[in-house]
Amino acid sequence: MIQHSMFHEKGPVFWWTGLAGVMAAGTIVILFASLVIESVPVFKAEGISFLWGVDWFAGENYGALPMIFGSLAVTGLAVVMVLPFALASAILTSEFLSGRARLMVKAAMELLAGVPGIIYGLMGISLLTIWVRDVFGLIDGNTLFTAGLLLAVMILPTIMTLSEDALSSVPGELRDTALSLGLTRMETVTKVVVPQALPGLAGAVFLGIGRAMGETIAVMLVIGGIDRLPQPWFNLFAPGQSIPSKIGREAAEALGFDVQWSALIALGLVLFVMVMTLTFAGNVLLRKAR
Amino acid sequence: MLLVLFGTGAWVLPGLSGWVQVFAQGSTVIRIAGSTTVLPIVSRAAERFQSRHPSIKITVNAGGSGVGIHGAGTGRFDIGLASREITPNENQRYASLHTTVIGRDAVACVVSSEIFHAGVRTLSKRQIGYIYLGKITNWKQVGGPDRPIVVIDKETHRGTRHVFMHYLFGNSKARAPGARLVTGSNNEEQAKIAQSDSAIGMLSIAWMNEDVAGIGIHEGGQVIQPTLDNVRNGRFPIARNLNLITAGQPAGAVKLFIDYLLSEEGQRLVAESGYIPIHSPHAVSRVAGSHSK
Amino acid sequence: MNRRLLKERLSMFALYGLTAGGGLILAVILITVFTKGAPALSVSFLFEASRNFGLEGGIFYQTLGTLILMAGAALVCLPVALGSVLFQTEFLHSPQLKKIFRLLIYSLNAVPTIIFGLIGYLFFGVFLEAGVSWVTGVLILAVMILPTLHVSIHEAVETIPKHYREAGLALGLSPGQQMRAVILPQSLHGIVTGTLLGLARAAGETAAIMFTATAFSGVDLPQSWTDPVTTLQTHILVLAQEAANPEALTNAWGAGLVLLAIVFILITATLWIRSGLEMEAER
Repeated sequence: MIQHSMFHEKGPVFWWTGLAGVMAAGTIVILFASLVIESVPVFKAEGISFLWGVDWFAGENYGALPMIFGSLAVTGLAVVMVLPFALASAILTSEFLSGRARLMVKAAMELLAGVPGIIYGLMGISLLTIWVRDVFGLIDGNTLFTAGLLLAVMILPTIMTLSEDALSSVPGELRDTALSLGLTRMETVTKVVVPQALPGLAGAVFLGIGRAMGETIAVMLVIGGIDRLPQPWFNLFAPGQSIPSKIGREAAEALGFDVQWSALIALGLVLFVMVMTLTFAGNVLLRKAR
Repeated sequence: MLLVLFGTGAWVLPGLSGWVQVFAQGSTVIRIAGSTTVLPIVSRAAERFQSRHPSIKITVNAGGSGVGIHGAGTGRFDIGLASREITPNENQRYASLHTTVIGRDAVACVVSSEIFHAGVRTLSKRQIGYIYLGKITNWKQVGGPDRPIVVIDKETHRGTRHVFMHYLFGNSKARAPGARLVTGSNNEEQAKIAQSDSAIGMLSIAWMNEDVAGIGIHEGGQVIQPTLDNVRNGRFPIARNLNLITAGQPAGAVKLFIDYLLSEEGQRLVAESGYIPIHSPHAVSRVAGSHSK
Repeated sequence: MNRRLLKERLSMFALYGLTAGGGLILAVILITVFTKGAPALSVSFLFEASRNFGLEGGIFYQTLGTLILMAGAALVCLPVALGSVLFQTEFLHSPQLKKIFRLLIYSLNAVPTIIFGLIGYLFFGVFLEAGVSWVTGVLILAVMILPTLHVSIHEAVETIPKHYREAGLALGLSPGQQMRAVILPQSLHGIVTGTLLGLARAAGETAAIMFTATAFSGVDLPQSWTDPVTTLQTHILVLAQEAANPEALTNAWGAGLVLLAIVFILITATLWIRSGLEMEAER
């Protein structure tokens, strides 16, 4: 089609699809802008120390640190706990399973990745908290650890399936060459395939982290709901609070109301920035792998 | 797959057509939300009321007293439910909030039944205060077994918390540094206390059951048990009104519903739910509430 | 040589072990939902209204509420997703713009859903004055599933063989005609699978709708544009907070089973379509 500029073709189709395109692409920009604009009141009231304040009492003080810490802690826990399982099953599926078995596993993972968060939440509050309490001898099972564990199970299918994609896309010749040089199959995997797939694997992990950080419902029901840094800070068997959990608990109360609402939005902004950075890095890595 | 879509459609469509009809006609809606303490009464009353007045729909939501009051003030709800009084701050912010009392309730200090059966039947106001401040951390310090206390606090906008903290510290916005968990609704608090075997919390007396026991409060040389009788005769120190908050005087369908709640039938619902009717002409046969499961 | 073999054996063992462990945990979840939820299921459970805070009665209106939000979101989202993909593939020719466009859509996919709820309420609830209503919920979910539909449709459009388009051009079709005659029919599978996945995603979402679209009781079907709905997801949430009450829990599990069934049916349909295509491609 001979076109000198994008606007040469001005038929109605162009404008309609253009409108849709602008709406789609513009949404995230509007989202970010709204988050920033609505956060202004709380930053005015508390200053930048909102980000490291440790006290949150609606109507008086707003400090985000316990929530930021909580989000990072449970996400970190989740990733550490899920990685061995996700990688092992990804390696097994991509390197050692037959074509049909592999397809079945991938299908199963896709189904599992779709399980709604509330179901995990239900399991958490009725079974997991009690189990954690009894197994670890705690006084109560609503802790950062419990939330991390639940998240780990939630993101297992996602990380597994993306890692598997990364591993499968390593060209077969590399494996054949390694085998012909006398490496065993496992050695081929660890010394050749995995290093090659590393950007894709890292990308998968980053995306899983993004998902874990954004999960609200499952975490809200088992994390303890208390806006406090654990004492000492590394005691992950203490209760805590994550950003989405906090927002989920207080949003209904604060809908639209000045500083408290603004504080919740500001929390959302912090979360947004954290997740976006991780996802961006993850996408860059995933594309490097292709 | 087409079959699946088709099947779903066939199932939904008849409902849809009926719905579209009513959509066109429209109906009066009363939107109610707020305290989970008042919720059971209003929910039950709404069911009965709607069956008698089919053209009036009533939606009921939880959220807590804070949500109810603010909602009534901003017009989000027609009736806000509150288990505490409106604060001067709230009165300043919203010009003409009107309160209708439909019953009375008490906030009991509750413990896990295992603790109760292990001998902790009474605590003094100061002991409870210290527990919530984190100065007393083990049940053995108050005559119980050697187990750490799981202190359960509530979200700060909840009416139950306002009333409890006001009693303990004279400040409804007091902090509780000794708290281990924060819960929201009465249901959630009840569940967490029942699940634990060494917890303490604050709960409306209508929610006490075999797993969640109310303890007597030792005050002024006497022990006052959290019973409905003690609330009725005013001895129990942590009592409160159950309020319906409206923006201005209730009118129209809202007034009809409120009148229903104040009627004998409505007040019987209050009693059946485990609370105290405002006029309380007859003795209430149950001590614990209808949430005893 | 023996040491290497030993290492190989051990690592394979670890691999199988970890995989089995992971698989086991996931299986446990499914089994739990099924065994705990099945007792609650009955014809009356599925088709009755809930009573007494969900302790009695069924989940009929909750199921309908979930379906309404899902279907509404997909209906609203589809034209926008379709339009934006077509714009991207047919009218955007500069690779930079394409990259930026893709980046923006992918970013939208990663946004934590509770933020959709917060900002969505501002825009649709306050600004458009829809309040806490099913309309607000539908719009918020529509925005949320936009990337899901967009990516699926985009992939489908990109894989249309070049000679189809060239044939269309040779016939002198305008972009609009090209779309109608060539692109849409050839990318139908992507549109369908994208929509199904979007529906599944909307069905599972709780955080974005819990304070923007739902009410716990008193609602059966919304009677106006500004009425809230009741959904399976939020119903489970409320019941989950009564975790010490076995009746509440059973009903929660039952509702969970129904919700899971809806999601699984949708995803299975997607997988089936996709595998059908792979088989076709192999011919």
